[in-house]
Amino acid sequence: MTAPYFELGYFGTRGALVAALVIGIAFGWCLESAGMGSARKLAAQFYLTDLTVFKVMFSAIVTTMLGLFWLGRLGVLDLSRVYVPETFLLPQLVGGLVFGIGFALGGLCPGTSCVAAVTGRLDGVALVLGMWSGVLATGLAFPSLRAFYERTPRGTLTLPQVFHVPYGVVVLLLVIVALAGFRGAEWIEARATSRSDEPPLPNASREATRPVAGGIGV
Amino acid sequence: MTDGRGRRLTRWLAGAALALGVLAPLAGSPYSSRHAVIDVASLARSVAREEDHVTALELAQWIKDRRPGLRVLDLRSPEEYTAYHVPRAEHLSLDSLATTTFRADETIVLYSEGGPHAAQAWVFLRALGYQRVFFLRGGLYEWLEQVMNPTLGDTTPAARAAFAHAAELSRYFGGVPRSDLRAMPADDAIPLPRAGSSGGSAVPLPSKRTVSRVLQIRRRGC
Amino acid sequence: MRRSAARPYANPYLAGVALGLVLLTAFVVMGRGLGASGAFASSTAGVVSAVAPERAQANAYFARYLGGDGPWLDWLLIEIIGVAIGGFFSALVAGRLRVAVERGPRISSRARLTTAFGAGAVMGLGAVLARGCTSGQALTGGALLSVGSWLFIAGAFAAAYAVAPLARRAWT
Repeated sequence: MTAPYFELGYFGTRGALVAALVIGIAFGWCLESAGMGSARKLAAQFYLTDLTVFKVMFSAIVTTMLGLFWLGRLGVLDLSRVYVPETFLLPQLVGGLVFGIGFALGGLCPGTSCVAAVTGRLDGVALVLGMWSGVLATGLAFPSLRAFYERTPRGTLTLPQVFHVPYGVVVLLLVIVALAGFRGAEWIEARATSRSDEPPLPNASREATRPVAGGIGV
Repeated sequence: MTDGRGRRLTRWLAGAALALGVLAPLAGSPYSSRHAVIDVASLARSVAREEDHVTALELAQWIKDRRPGLRVLDLRSPEEYTAYHVPRAEHLSLDSLATTTFRADETIVLYSEGGPHAAQAWVFLRALGYQRVFFLRGGLYEWLEQVMNPTLGDTTPAARAAFAHAAELSRYFGGVPRSDLRAMPADDAIPLPRAGSSGGSAVPLPSKRTVSRVLQIRRRGC
Repeated sequence: MRRSAARPYANPYLAGVALGLVLLTAFVVMGRGLGASGAFASSTAGVVSAVAPERAQANAYFARYLGGDGPWLDWLLIEIIGVAIGGFFSALVAGRLRVAVERGPRISSRARLTTAFGAGAVMGLGAVLARGCTSGQALTGGALLSVGSWLFIAGAFAAAYAVAPLARRAWT
């Protein structure tokens, strides 16, 4: 039985919604356990005092990338059936820049703001409400934004296709970049802690693997 | 990572990532394995239960009902497709079958001129893992015979009821139902349906000339 | 401070790997990744369509969320409801539930809430333009090596690092 199971018709839309809920619960569990519901922790990323966001995000990307590559290679997962978001060069770059401004000011992103909101942080609630109004305003202004929104379409475009290198080579390069980045992140954090008189934000200095194990269990 | 256990775990994760990363360029493409897997038992079961095909009348009913997610694929040559195709059918060449992806909620009906090509394509798509695939049993011949040109050949009530049903579908698609039972008593005769009497039709109708041309081709073929 | 009672956060690498495995599960089971801004978009479309149905249908952005099972049964919306449930129980188990306004030491609660609202609105605009956010583009598209997603990652981090010095008062 090859994956993806939904795409191949092993279950229907109702089953898909059950999967959405279960996957979402596990996602939320992981985000909260990593401290991604804390705006100060996320913002500290941009002042180079706590690089948890970078570590969590890139270890997640590397894990999934390796998983997709090897499951595809072993024939467990048909990669051609996995939906790859289409590329629109200019709107995605500009959207990223605009998003980054909000990210630094708000200290949360859309997913983590939901976690912040349900764990009692009122700033998370405010950010969720802001997201809604931002999407509403952008949606209402969409007719005039549409020309830009649809500029520079490139369809499904991946890094191996652009650089004309085998998929596996890109995977290896990203693993190396990520591992080097983690090493750099540890070094930067150590330096920031030794310089600062402020107590560092609670992070993973003491092991706490059980919440994550719970996430995997879910 | 100040404590030993956390550091060991992180080291181990980094090592695993590096190992899988280093092996990746040597492993080839992750896409290359678009192997179709033929589960002979399951395919044979589908065939035995006659779950592999649809009749022309079933297909006509599905199209008329606008069955959600229905995709009718014409596997003949582009020229034949242009000359005439089942309403709402898309053209797809056999070559591009392997590279076309379908959504899970789509019902795929394949047809060719007769049965064989569509039946083979059915096997291919099932082997690629698609579950809701059917082929038109007798191909376009059956469509023309049963839907576009149905004939009453028997006087039993069952045959007449079936003919009435076929004639209704036929009119929807702009076909020409015929009763060949001229010798029957007048009161027993099925009233001949008038073409176009069903009012505004939702599907683009083939012109009379096209239909008759295709019918001629078909008769020559027989 | 009640924080002393709370369990510390998990090892970020381990949490990242767990998150990656959840994302991988989504790919294997559904053939698609995770998202968050999509849930905001479909729920907004749902509200607009409830208030002004014709307007929602006429708007190309909202209309795309109104097909199928409708905006309230959107896959990402259900997934985000799951995120909220999962986040809540994780915090509950770890003793980290606490009603508060999380802010820098030099900013008032009121200013923090206003900034958070404004930042959310800006991110809403960015997420619409980029067709996703940190979940849908950075994690999902990043793992799939999508070019647009890596552009998004580069843009978001570049802008955040550029703006951070100007916003120092809010956080440090």
